[in-house]
Amino acid sequence: MSSKFPRKGIHEGLTSCLSCHQLIILPIAGGHCRCPRCGGRVHGRILGSLMLTWALTITGALLLLPANILPIMTVVYLGAGDPTTIISGVMQLYNSGMWGIALIVFVASIAVPVMKLLGLALLLVQMQLRLTFVPSQAMKIYRVVAGIGRWSLLDLFMISILVALVDMGFIAQVVAGPGSTAFASVVIVTMLAARSFDPRLIWDAYDGDLYSKDVAPETAHRGAAENG
Amino acid sequence: MEQLRDDKQIRWQHACHECDLLLTGGLAPPGQKLTCPRCGCTLHRNANHSVYYTIALSLTGLLLFIPSASLPLLKFSLFSFGAENTLMNGVYSLFKAGYIWLASLVLFCSVLAPLGKFLLLLFVCCGSFLGLLDRWVSIAVRWYQHIKEWGMLDVYMLGILVALIKLRDLGKMDVEPGLYCFGAMMLVANLSSLSFDQNAIWHRLALRRAQREKLT
Repeated sequence: MSSKFPRKGIHEGLTSCLSCHQLIILPIAGGHCRCPRCGGRVHGRILGSLMLTWALTITGALLLLPANILPIMTVVYLGAGDPTTIISGVMQLYNSGMWGIALIVFVASIAVPVMKLLGLALLLVQMQLRLTFVPSQAMKIYRVVAGIGRWSLLDLFMISILVALVDMGFIAQVVAGPGSTAFASVVIVTMLAARSFDPRLIWDAYDGDLYSKDVAPETAHRGAAENG
Repeated sequence: MEQLRDDKQIRWQHACHECDLLLTGGLAPPGQKLTCPRCGCTLHRNANHSVYYTIALSLTGLLLFIPSASLPLLKFSLFSFGAENTLMNGVYSLFKAGYIWLASLVLFCSVLAPLGKFLLLLFVCCGSFLGLLDRWVSIAVRWYQHIKEWGMLDVYMLGILVALIKLRDLGKMDVEPGLYCFGAMMLVANLSSLSFDQNAIWHRLALRRAQREKLT
């Protein structure tokens, strides 16, 4: 194994601190310690990474339902106004001819959360079923998922601006709706899910390391030595 | 086994934080960046004069924060009524309407996290010159890494633009001076996080520790 695959930290009982990237020697027993340089908690792999990511992804998918069904805001103009959901907001923009803005809002508040959840689910299924896959593609999915998440807060920022701007009582008023709270939770939960996914597991699965939290790094190392 | 013993003698310097590949050198030459040969993630970006540029940029950002938080960003007028939007009063209106969770999220992502990022960067870069603050500097670097992705000034800027266009047919929208300050602050925030290189800070701290050990 040692000759076929590149040397990895976990084989040598070494790991890198995720916040300061210092190389650290893992203690044999517990498998986690504090980084001597920045004081952050260091694990060989993020503890319970797959489980936590599954939980957060499922939570996000469930929250996506109220976020899309409940109205996110109401524009009251001269005493009348319909509550708009995310989708009807996009349709309104599209119908009034502003298709560029409609596209931006569509991408930020519908496409991004759905793609994120699908991407995470795809990665998790690949990890769990040990499907054959190309790790560079999985890494690409991971990076996109981790990078685009923040842009879905666009709609919420816009609501907070509109609520403050259009507040003239009977004449015109923008009121936030309960869907916005659900949508905020979707964004937070999916961002946390992307954070809790450990990309090093992708490479572990590819290299065929049967590393789990029960296998101490030292045992994994010995196994590697015997095989090599 | 022979192979393994040879490998043992190599002095590993870094492990890639995205694929755990062991590397013998993990630092880029000045002005360049180093990517992992296996997964392609950026291991180290060595910006020129990182510490000084970051001090300058974060100071600029803090100064720009004052007008962009206090001056109105947008003005909306309809008939004879008018309302202005500042960074804080959107949060306040949401809070008043009972959306506490949403209000605190907007407050954190558009005000607290960017402000915290500037303060932490300034503290880290200035503090790295003083031996007394070593412990606090290393804690601040860790906090900066945690808070980094939650500062969303660029997303907020896009939100402003969408709001600007969306309300155009309802009433009259005006851009106020605060928005220019806000735009500049957004640029400075992105530049400061690009120019900040934590390895420069760690290198400085390590040198000082080595000197102190030599003296005693």
